[in-house]
Amino acid sequence: MARRRLGPEGRFLLMALPGAIFVVVFLLLPILSIIVFSFWRTESYTLIPDWNLDNYATLFGTTTYMTFLLRSFTMAVAVSLASLVYAWPVAYFIAKHGDRYRLLLILALAAPFFTGIILRVTGIQGVMGPVGVINLGLMNYGLQPIEFIMYTQTAVGIGVTYLFIPFMVTAVYLSLLNFDFELLEVAKINGAKPWRAFIEITWPLNWMGTVIGLVLVFIPSMAESITPRFLGGPNAASFGQVLGLQFGETGTWALGSAMGVLLFAVSSLVILLMWRTVNLQRSGFTGGGS
Amino acid sequence: MSKESSKSRMSKARKAGVSRRSLLKASAAGAAAAATFAAPHIRNAEAATINIRMLIWQDYNIADTVNEFEAKYDARISPAFFDGNSEAFNKMKAGGTADFDLVMADGFWPRLYYRDGLIQPMNEELLPNLANLFPDFAPPAYNLLHDKPGGVRIGANNCWGSYGITMNLDHIEPADRDSLNIMFDEKYGGHLATGARFEENIAMAGILAATQLGTVDGPRPDGDESFNPYHLTDEELERAKELLIKQKGLLVTRYQDYDSLQKLMRPGLVWASPEFSEIYRRLTRAYEAGEIDFQVAHMLQPKEGGLGWIDSWQLSSGTTDSEAIELCHAWVNHYISNESMTRVAQIGVAPCYDVREFLPPEEVSLLMMDRTVELRGLHMFDQPSSPEKWERVWSEVEAA
Repeated sequence: MARRRLGPEGRFLLMALPGAIFVVVFLLLPILSIIVFSFWRTESYTLIPDWNLDNYATLFGTTTYMTFLLRSFTMAVAVSLASLVYAWPVAYFIAKHGDRYRLLLILALAAPFFTGIILRVTGIQGVMGPVGVINLGLMNYGLQPIEFIMYTQTAVGIGVTYLFIPFMVTAVYLSLLNFDFELLEVAKINGAKPWRAFIEITWPLNWMGTVIGLVLVFIPSMAESITPRFLGGPNAASFGQVLGLQFGETGTWALGSAMGVLLFAVSSLVILLMWRTVNLQRSGFTGGGS
Repeated sequence: MSKESSKSRMSKARKAGVSRRSLLKASAAGAAAAATFAAPHIRNAEAATINIRMLIWQDYNIADTVNEFEAKYDARISPAFFDGNSEAFNKMKAGGTADFDLVMADGFWPRLYYRDGLIQPMNEELLPNLANLFPDFAPPAYNLLHDKPGGVRIGANNCWGSYGITMNLDHIEPADRDSLNIMFDEKYGGHLATGARFEENIAMAGILAATQLGTVDGPRPDGDESFNPYHLTDEELERAKELLIKQKGLLVTRYQDYDSLQKLMRPGLVWASPEFSEIYRRLTRAYEAGEIDFQVAHMLQPKEGGLGWIDSWQLSSGTTDSEAIELCHAWVNHYISNESMTRVAQIGVAPCYDVREFLPPEEVSLLMMDRTVELRGLHMFDQPSSPEKWERVWSEVEAA
């Protein structure tokens, strides 16, 4: 029996199908459901389809939840900037001087991912906590422990930065892999100082990788809930942590859904704003079809 | 199949004039036929092992007890864990009755599960080991494992304890050692910690709030006959919130687990903290072994009132197969046996069953097994009167 061959359109659809199913099942449907739940209400751990705007009134009508949002937003901005400052020299060094060890060095950066997040956060606690390596060392020499790295916002910031720095390094490194370092030689020959060459050539031509890194660090930092639980004190509750509480102990799913929608909206807005700063032509982007 | 035998089979097939495709077809048909003949036997073998799915506190997952039961009953135990009563209740409400055969709950919670149809009555005849209960945990002294006094049994006792305050006797003054005020006293600021559980934080502050307002013996909301710190009036809840906000400035942290608290109390960084007496036991043992140079005490019942719990086993309403129900009872009865309860005591939790003869006297004392009567004065863990209202209060405390 002769077989019917798939045409180009059929092949395209067949190849696009798994991705489309993934997006629909694991992204669109969950988002749709939390949007719907956010307009319902919860009573004694039961979701009641009673359409109303109360959850949004609660979120925007008091300073309580805005405090958590602002706390997490500030933390995510600080963590993204700290990661950026730390990651650029590391990625630059690996891309320019890593030679045949590049892959190995990048893999070494990913080594913490071989363990779970709780283990990594607990590990940080073992370094910065009240009886961690740093403070025990100081106390052994009769010095006072450093209080701002124990159960504070700063401790959370350090912990979250540690967790997400590899994302930033990888994004910048991948961008630098496609960067022609010869351009810097040309700039030097034409009299540009290294710093000016960096500002005018390296930085803008790798801005897209930097933006991807910033987004990859900002979004999970904004939603982070584990690190504040373990490293934060009583004043460090984050938006993600309080959001998690709604779906766990308090069982206030409707309010939690509204918080989820708000988090998604803020994250999307940040991505949009970051994307608008990308000049595709300047960054050497060649995709996008004909 | 080995490479050699595969090759020789192919060569024999070629000699016999059989194509590769027909050989594959024949092999597939053979495999299918074998599977068809074997299937009933495979199904029988699987059916012989019943899987009991449990939603429990992680501490109670004791390998020896599980292994004994699995070997004796040819059953499989699949535990899942939770961190708080509301979380477990929430899971069962969200379809958990289909996912779990047994669930654990504390204090008043079993009645709430039963009221919402999440659990079913248990058969006392299948639980003969209940006979070894301390009288303080059986009716008429304790009725919360029956739907009403004299009603049907809805759970089987497991362990008990308080959410009392463990304190470092080098730093907490004798005059303060019987009051909840320790946890709100500025002179201990920077040396206090509390747990992360929102219900118990609010309830404990609620007891103090009602004491300060003088409303403990006044009219109660929700039709309660007596004071219940989980059913507070709006005025008490507001005062509790103020206390908790004030307390934030005095806390080192809200600990997530026993080990975190131990790391803070052992070197003397934290002087007092509410807990389930686990750290009290660990530090007392450490003191007796000469590892630390300060003594600790555990305030089981503060003068204003304290929180207590009896945790218990409940049978999910989603378990309807009679064989599975019987096996669940067998598991519970196995778990509350003297041997198993002695193991539970050895991991540091006080059983509701009298296993004192199997434990050294110092352990009996540490586990407060000679103080069971004190449970009667404690307020049992319960569901907040309005989880929504309590969530707002807790969020306001956290944001303040």
